Amino acid sequence: MADATLDLTKTKKTYAVVGIALFVFTGVTVTIGLAPIFDFGPPGPDAGDFVLGLAVASFKASLVALIFMHLNHEKGLIYKLLLFTVVFAFAMMTLTLFADWDPIREQFETYQTTRGWLTEKP
Amino acid sequence: MEIPYEVTPRRDTGLYNAKLGIWLFLASEVMLFGGLFSAYVFLRMGVQDGVDDPWPWGVSVHKNFVWLGAINTIVLIASSVGVVFAWVALKERNWRRYQIYMYFVVACAVAFMCIKSIEYNSKLNHHHGIKLIDNSVMEGAILDKTDRVRFEGEKITFNLQGALPAVLRDIREESFPKFKVIEGPEGVVGNEITSLSSFKGWFADSRRAVFEKLTSERQRYRAELASGVANPKPVSVVSSATLVAEAPFTISGSPRKIVATTEAVVSYKDGVKLEGKRVSDDVIFEVHEVDLQLVIPQKQRDSVVWEVINDDRAKQQFFAAQSKNYQELVEYYKDHGGVVPEEQLRGRYLNVHYVHVAADGHGGEHGKEDKHADVHRSESNPTAGGGGEEEEHGPSKHLIIPRDQIKFMGNHGPRYGTYYALYFTMTALHGLHVIGGALVLLFFTVFGKKLYLKNPEHLANRVEVGGLFWHFVDLVWIFLFPIMYLL
Repeated sequence: MADATLDLTKTKKTYAVVGIALFVFTGVTVTIGLAPIFDFGPPGPDAGDFVLGLAVASFKASLVALIFMHLNHEKGLIYKLLLFTVVFAFAMMTLTLFADWDPIREQFETYQTTRGWLTEKP
Repeated sequence: MEIPYEVTPRRDTGLYNAKLGIWLFLASEVMLFGGLFSAYVFLRMGVQDGVDDPWPWGVSVHKNFVWLGAINTIVLIASSVGVVFAWVALKERNWRRYQIYMYFVVACAVAFMCIKSIEYNSKLNHHHGIKLIDNSVMEGAILDKTDRVRFEGEKITFNLQGALPAVLRDIREESFPKFKVIEGPEGVVGNEITSLSSFKGWFADSRRAVFEKLTSERQRYRAELASGVANPKPVSVVSSATLVAEAPFTISGSPRKIVATTEAVVSYKDGVKLEGKRVSDDVIFEVHEVDLQLVIPQKQRDSVVWEVINDDRAKQQFFAAQSKNYQELVEYYKDHGGVVPEEQLRGRYLNVHYVHVAADGHGGEHGKEDKHADVHRSESNPTAGGGGEEEEHGPSKHLIIPRDQIKFMGNHGPRYGTYYALYFTMTALHGLHVIGGALVLLFFTVFGKKLYLKNPEHLANRVEVGGLFWHFVDLVWIFLFPIMYLL
């Protein structure tokens, strides 16, 4: 019983620390999004900004998932279920990517495409 | 009989029923939101510069409301912390503390939805865009509902086989005129209609009569054909009606329901024809920003937008900002490869700028009458693609734009563009999840005492499961906020 009480006290401290970390990283997200010094590359959002923004978001999401949703000590069946979900979600996105790939046009050596505009190969 | 494994976990899986159930449900929610996020990714990647409508920057769409989005993120994170502490309080068998935390979570949910409604109200009611015939775009505000067609109607002609005429919604009920039927199926000519409710009753009766007449005529025709009559009389039923108003009535016609207007006629999409006199269909607009991304650079100085704005200072302001930003891009690319790429030449940073069209006699003075002055100030953020230069505040001149110069106009709602459609779809769906989750948690708070006294571990499990859903909702917003508001 005393161990259970100690565990809960430790759990509460962990939740509080994670909560504070999430607030701090929200501020980091906003700063990265708005401050010009963090606008890597030319003005406006580009691949670098996306990678950085989503990296911070992923870190925050993993804190929520692992600590608040107890995934850091969950049972095996739940992990298998989630793995199944991730595989399916990834497969769905990959299948949609195939819509962007045109094997017929790509076989013609004469032309190359630049985001949909046909230009002659030099 | 008790349902097994409601509270105690199964030995093989180590899970109680509800936990397995909620994770299965969350897996399906991952597919739902994952599909929407991947739609966003593909639609954004698929935009072709100079061909499709440009994809806006999240920061430039939301401007001041980026901060509201950040506050919403803090609110949801706080509520997530609240729900885990509520669960711990139940584990410690502290009912009072559990209730306080749960009421805090519900309050956060209400705050989230209130903030969301402020954002939606701004986008749907206070910000508009007008695309002119050469694809130049002005962002600002349509004033006095002048996007609607102002018309004085005298006579309406409509079909009695369809739904209620759309024109009825454009007539105010308190000024509904007295109508007399001058043309129509037999038995209705001469009818007088004095109110909207009597119109609806008359319309329903007439439609039923027309339908019955059509049915009997068709039966007659088929019977005559079957009996060998060579040229049976064709089916001919009068199925339209014309009403004349005792006195002209004004309508404020919704442009989404109207196909065309002339000086004397308004034609609605449902086939209704309204005859009378056009009062005005010019649009009064307060411009904040000019967007020339869809006008090729060689034609930008001669764009229709400058004729509409009719202010040389505003035009100079735009091109001075463009020139300054272009120099910055040339400097940047000199150090990184040499040439400014085409997507930058067509992009937001060069082609979207704040303009201030001063009201006559108030050029450049600071004033308080420009109600959007605080929106303009945010344009000083370079990443918003509009700023860096000094903005001029003060009263803005209201532009009068003839409707034949306008290709498209609307508020910043879902139909304004693909980005906006996705924004409203995803945030509204997320908002519905917030409401649903809050209702469930509120139920556990208000009605949970009985279960707490009977079996507190059972209630703790339920709260854990409800909390898992709530954390998932928070998780979705953690991704939504940077994607929609910052990038």
